[in-house]
Amino acid sequence: MWFKYRSIFTVILLLVLVFFSMRLTEFDLSKFKEFRNMIDFLSQWFPMDFSKLPAMIHDSLETLALAFLGSFLGLIFALPISFMAAVNTSPSKYLYHFTRFSLSFVRSIPEIVFGLILLTALSLGPFPAVLAIMFHNVGVLGKLISELIEASDPGPQEAMKAVGAKKGFGYLFSILPQIWPNVLSHYFYRFEVAIRTSLILGFIGAGGIGQRLFNDFKTFQYSSVSLDVLMIMILVIMVDLIGSYVRNKVI
Amino acid sequence: MLNIKNVSVQYDNSQEKALSDINLSFNNGEFVCILGKSGAGKSTLIRCINGLQKPTHGEVYWQDQPLSKMNEEQLRQVRRKMGMIFQHFNLIPRLTVIQNVMTGTFGYRSTFKNLIGWFTDDEIKRAKQIIDDVGLMTQIDRKVEQLSGGQKQRVGIARALLQQPAVFLGDEPVSSLDPGISNHIFQLIQEMHHRLQLLTIINVHDVELAKRYATRLIALKDGKVVFDDIPEKFDDDKFHLTYGSTVNKFQNYLKIN
Repeated sequence: MWFKYRSIFTVILLLVLVFFSMRLTEFDLSKFKEFRNMIDFLSQWFPMDFSKLPAMIHDSLETLALAFLGSFLGLIFALPISFMAAVNTSPSKYLYHFTRFSLSFVRSIPEIVFGLILLTALSLGPFPAVLAIMFHNVGVLGKLISELIEASDPGPQEAMKAVGAKKGFGYLFSILPQIWPNVLSHYFYRFEVAIRTSLILGFIGAGGIGQRLFNDFKTFQYSSVSLDVLMIMILVIMVDLIGSYVRNKVI
Repeated sequence: MLNIKNVSVQYDNSQEKALSDINLSFNNGEFVCILGKSGAGKSTLIRCINGLQKPTHGEVYWQDQPLSKMNEEQLRQVRRKMGMIFQHFNLIPRLTVIQNVMTGTFGYRSTFKNLIGWFTDDEIKRAKQIIDDVGLMTQIDRKVEQLSGGQKQRVGIARALLQQPAVFLGDEPVSSLDPGISNHIFQLIQEMHHRLQLLTIINVHDVELAKRYATRLIALKDGKVVFDDIPEKFDDDKFHLTYGSTVNKFQNYLKIN
């Protein structure tokens, strides 16, 4: 009734995939014999060292600014591009395919690669990280928003045509109010992701709390590492809370 | 003022023609209702009139100008003279009643002014007058999704009227409304029709409603006009001709039981 014969093959295929993935990733639960090491290590994290708190707050704000600016600039550039990358609003078929391809190309390059390339020209610091996050977010938000545009209700667009509004303006006016709450929730999710990305970019010298975490770790200052991690968790939760607040206000 | 000559429409995904060889002409002051089963081509016909649908063959003339020869700009100027209301209202969600009504002026204003939302006192006064006329003054600042179906259609009517139309088109405007509300909407349309001296063309599938308000009835079947005359002449035979044997059988069934 519920299962087809073909489902058995799917299950077998999945089992085979899981097996080979475990081999490749050296997945082995027996390694937890050395569990004590982790407890020893984590015990060095406490008590937390609050002496560097002011500097950490400063770095956290830098991370916040970096993630906000990168994702926000990404949104600003992604909005007009997404209208070109949506099949129902694109001015021409060629432009549609071209922007689609460009967006997936930009998306396929990880932020860290952008960061490493930009470092050579812009030297160390948060600025190349902002650009790296921006480029990647243009790719991601451009794709997500163009999909929202494609899924929007065509009724209001038709109504704008019928009142004699100009084509492009009619699209903008009838689609944007519909998709705006979803655009915002995508944006805040990307903002949150950008905070985590900026930590990784901190490892290659982009500054912020990520670089501090990396440095504290490398110099075995585990009581500072624990506070760094706590700061990061607070940052991410804060952005999540702000995001849901703004989204509720808009809806 | 509006002529349809030899118009046929064939959709890509269909074997049969949605409209085949339609010839009709309409004059100012007529209140026309178009009847027919779903799929008979009513909607396609209405959409041909304001160029939302391009005919495969034939031509639609607006004041003796052929629509197919017009560029985008000229077509816009025709469309803004034709107010249109829709079955699913097609209002812009999350905007208020007055904001939705103001979009009726978009055909007359520059994109920049539209974008900024810069309306003249006269335009706002006119919009408020129309909102009062359709009976929504108390709802003016509410978002449209909070309104009932009948109220939404009133917003649709107000938007169309702000266009200062010469033609009023309705594509099944009362099909998703209760019968009582439908009657109110038709009363409102009729009142505006008389006051503004419009040509009104509306699709309906409720024959009684059409007969009550129309000055001329057109019935479509399989993309062809099967009736075009005053409503009094639309008798039972014409009804069966339009709605086919399924209704006939159903009525016989009712008679037997």
